[in-house]
Amino acid sequence: MNYLTRRLVTFPVVMLGVSVLVFVSIRLVPGDAITAMLGTEAGLLTPAQRAALEAYFGMDQSWFGQYWHWLGGVLHGDLGISVTYGRPVMEVILRVFPLTLELALLSMIVALAVGLPAGIYAATHAERPSDLIVRIVAMVGQSTPSFVVALLAIYALSVWFGVLPAMGTFTPLWENPLKNLAQMILPALTLGFAFAAAVTRISRSAMLDILSDDYIRTARAKGVPARSVIWHHALPNALIPVVTVSGVEFGYLLGGAVIVEQVFALPGLGRTVLEAILQRDYALVQGSVLFIAFNFMIVNLLVDLAYAALDPRIRLGGK
Amino acid sequence: MGRPRFKNMVSAVAVASALGIAGAAVPAAAATLNMAWSQDATGLDPHKQTAFSSLRLLELVYEPLVRTDGELNIVPAIATAWEFSEDGQTLTFKLDPEVKFSNGDKVMPADVKASFERILNEETGASSRANFLSIESIDTPDDETVVFNLSQPDAPLLTAMSSINAAIVPASAIEAGTIGTETLGSGPFVLDSWEPNSREVLSANENWAGGDVGVDGINISVLPDETAILAALRTNQVDFALINDPLVATLVPNNAGLTLNREPVLNYHVLQLNADRGAMAEEKVRQAISCAIDRQDVLDAALLGEGKVTGPLTMPAYATDPSELFCYTPDLEKARALMAEAGYEDGFSAKVMAATGEPPTAAAEAQVIQSQLAEIGIDLDIEIMELNVYVDRWLKGDFDMAVALNGGRTDPYTMYNRYWTKDGNLAHVAHYGDDTLDSLMQEGRVETDPAKRKEIFAEFSKHITEVSPWIWLYTGYSYTAANDKVSGFEANPTGSLFGLSAVTVSE
Amino acid sequence: MSLLRSIFAHPSGRIGGTIVALYIIIAVLGLVGLTPHDPLMQFRIDRLHAPSATYWMGTDLLGRDVASRLMIGIAQSFIVSFASVALATAIGIVLGLAAAWFGTYWDGTIMRLMDVLLAFPAILLALLIITILGPGTWTSVLAIAFVYTPIFTRVVRGPALSLKTREFVDAARTFGSSRRYILSRHMLLNLVAPLTVQVTLALAWALLTEAGLSFLGLGTQPPKASLGLMLSEARNLMEMAPWLLVFPAFAIMIGILGFNLLGDALRDILDPRSRRAEA
Repeated sequence: MNYLTRRLVTFPVVMLGVSVLVFVSIRLVPGDAITAMLGTEAGLLTPAQRAALEAYFGMDQSWFGQYWHWLGGVLHGDLGISVTYGRPVMEVILRVFPLTLELALLSMIVALAVGLPAGIYAATHAERPSDLIVRIVAMVGQSTPSFVVALLAIYALSVWFGVLPAMGTFTPLWENPLKNLAQMILPALTLGFAFAAAVTRISRSAMLDILSDDYIRTARAKGVPARSVIWHHALPNALIPVVTVSGVEFGYLLGGAVIVEQVFALPGLGRTVLEAILQRDYALVQGSVLFIAFNFMIVNLLVDLAYAALDPRIRLGGK
Repeated sequence: MGRPRFKNMVSAVAVASALGIAGAAVPAAAATLNMAWSQDATGLDPHKQTAFSSLRLLELVYEPLVRTDGELNIVPAIATAWEFSEDGQTLTFKLDPEVKFSNGDKVMPADVKASFERILNEETGASSRANFLSIESIDTPDDETVVFNLSQPDAPLLTAMSSINAAIVPASAIEAGTIGTETLGSGPFVLDSWEPNSREVLSANENWAGGDVGVDGINISVLPDETAILAALRTNQVDFALINDPLVATLVPNNAGLTLNREPVLNYHVLQLNADRGAMAEEKVRQAISCAIDRQDVLDAALLGEGKVTGPLTMPAYATDPSELFCYTPDLEKARALMAEAGYEDGFSAKVMAATGEPPTAAAEAQVIQSQLAEIGIDLDIEIMELNVYVDRWLKGDFDMAVALNGGRTDPYTMYNRYWTKDGNLAHVAHYGDDTLDSLMQEGRVETDPAKRKEIFAEFSKHITEVSPWIWLYTGYSYTAANDKVSGFEANPTGSLFGLSAVTVSE
Repeated sequence: MSLLRSIFAHPSGRIGGTIVALYIIIAVLGLVGLTPHDPLMQFRIDRLHAPSATYWMGTDLLGRDVASRLMIGIAQSFIVSFASVALATAIGIVLGLAAAWFGTYWDGTIMRLMDVLLAFPAILLALLIITILGPGTWTSVLAIAFVYTPIFTRVVRGPALSLKTREFVDAARTFGSSRRYILSRHMLLNLVAPLTVQVTLALAWALLTEAGLSFLGLGTQPPKASLGLMLSEARNLMEMAPWLLVFPAFAIMIGILGFNLLGDALRDILDPRSRRAEA
């Protein structure tokens, strides 16, 4: 079987696995939607009231029955109803997803705009002091948790520069692009920092690999100018691993940045899932995790396709 | 939910053009108030909701028969006047003929009757049902009068009726079964849309009987991180905010242009002991714990001193001087002696549970208490858990000790009957009961003379702190922060944000 | 010993190695109680005290010495990271070898299971496990190990698969070596290089994940300290007491940097051809 076909066949199998895993694990969590909703006052419920609420939340069916029912819905594009929102799960997800998508795209733009030039520069200045500096910064970037970057950035901006990050009522891009960008810029830079570090490192090492390849050396020996060697011969090949790394990273970001969204008060996918877990909103947890896994796998598939398209040397049948 | 808003605009235009005063109804300064809070409402049924955050929202949309003012006096809301009969067994209300639901329908005695019947119906699952069990029947002799016939005199009844859990909802909505999915109240605001955990949009109710609302509407954002709320206030993205964490609140006054409003609340921080478990079954051990804990020190360390040491009664009308209560002056010698008398001179170990972020100071409180109790040989293991798990275990009474922030009420009986009467539905969480407590609660319930009630509950307070089933610590503040565009907000000790109806915002 | 020498000959190995060694020393000192103050002692009169000669890194809300807490915090973060990576490596080796050795059926099942875990967002997976088991040191270990097991399984399976077909395994087979002997001796030895690199890098990720979980209040529980927990306690106090933020933040950063540098160096030394890790 060819690699791509195999990927396509295992896709539904893996999705099914994800659905079972999330379905079971959220139900193993102690506490239920009723205590989540009523807090300590749930103690005032009579057994009859509790039973009525359990029926309302569908908690009176067996797990298998619930799963079967849910899976049937999923296959028809119905992810169920969120108990906290009182709306279809899909609708809830699609309302917060644009923010997450925008954040992921902005972070990727930051990462590519900074990381790619830095990586190429470092590779063409290999082992010189400027290369060392780029590598150290990239290493630090890769070693700092994004919430630490966020906290330090907020602190430094407000205390040293008197600039306050624009946090508050979130404004969607289509309502007021300027206000939206003002709110998104710091979170995007925060997430872009580690992302850029990864891009820098991979583009530097890819570039170095290529520059030491025979055909580049041949081109140089033939007297092709150094600039042309880099831009026309080396770069296109060096981009392949960059695409892979950026794609995978982008796939992760589409799952929502739980802590960064929390710190910057952004109502994105990560915060929605976190709150759904805390409020035992089973349908929402199931639906959004499935959604995230689906996106992640699709992005990875696309990355593989891009990889194959960019590099004719790769035979996907192998490996 | 764009639809209701559109409907409102249409009716506003219709009313204005009918009166020929287009535009004049809206004050020139009116604007929208941008507001933030960290915890969102959990539902919209005023009779069922108990979460503080839900009550704060519903108090803007619905109205009870009566309200409590800033001094906790009962003042008119839907009812303009009320009277108890001589024998205390009938309570008569006169309704304000001007009061209308936001769709323009008059609030009728039938709505009041239907609302209370809904609360009393066990199937509703109304959270405050227990407070209204003395109501035997409700009469509606004319279009402005409602008469409650009671089975016994019930002094706390009027106070219970001032809660938003006793809100008057339209009889038609009860029939249609739309309470909880749609909101239709007689309060100062109309809820136009609600996106849970994200935001609420409210607009002024032009049919409100209380007069002109000072703003066009309120946009509420849910910002779960209170540091983010502070940041939003500083950048004027938000004009007004509710703050829970005293550590964040104390930072507000450092900012030019921001004011902090600090209002003492009835909710109390408490260390609940489980008198059914191990050493804590011994009264002397519980007393030793009470003597070993330095309440002021916990308050100073965990809440930066933002609060007041309190006994069980947190409402000013009933509160007594806490320093007169048992061992409110910490006494380690006495504590050690009591431990020795109980046979625990070497101490014991126990677990204390606390919820993550609820209250925000819980972890710090547990740690200070842990270090204080270590002084008398009690080795505490702190278990911090997510709120849901905490609630689950709390409801089962499954803990050695629990750090808790419990809700207060304006009347001692409604506040404590669930814990300290024998058939109270949370008696198993209280883990303690005795005849004295039970009979004092019953006496307090039927006594109608305020002075005598005060004596009864002072006795209750003295007794319960002596037998020490729980260690009452202190009450904190509820905080609101506002920028200087906002004026006219009046806070309320119940935490109600009803004062927002009088607020104006300058551009 | 020659490995140690090559690490110190490598520029980033030198820096990384030094950082890691230093952190281990600090952690051990913290564990045996050689801290400037008792890390749990609440000097409540001196709470939120700025760094001074007595309190080198200041005190926190309850008056505890930040420097001492940082020491036990590093120890705690290291214990969680080492334990979870050890667990993930052990399970990964077993699963990876099983997949490679038994092939077909087993291989397919095990690797699809790993795909499922990999498709699950890491922090959410850890969050779910912790909400099920309740927060705490050992549940964090379990959660983090669970998240990183697929990576080790893949790292082991790849080389094991290619080794399985190589002649020396066949040779050993024909000479009658027992199955267990072949597995342990030849294959494991040839897996050590990629595993060492992966373990070092995974330690950096584990530190990162532990910090994140503790920051959300789901990892290490007070009154213990961990780097992430210290940061979350500093969150609302950072304006009043910036030292509560700054020291743990840099401690996390430098610690993870150490492991990353070391991992890079090891990769260069042990496997000079591949510069890219298998994701």
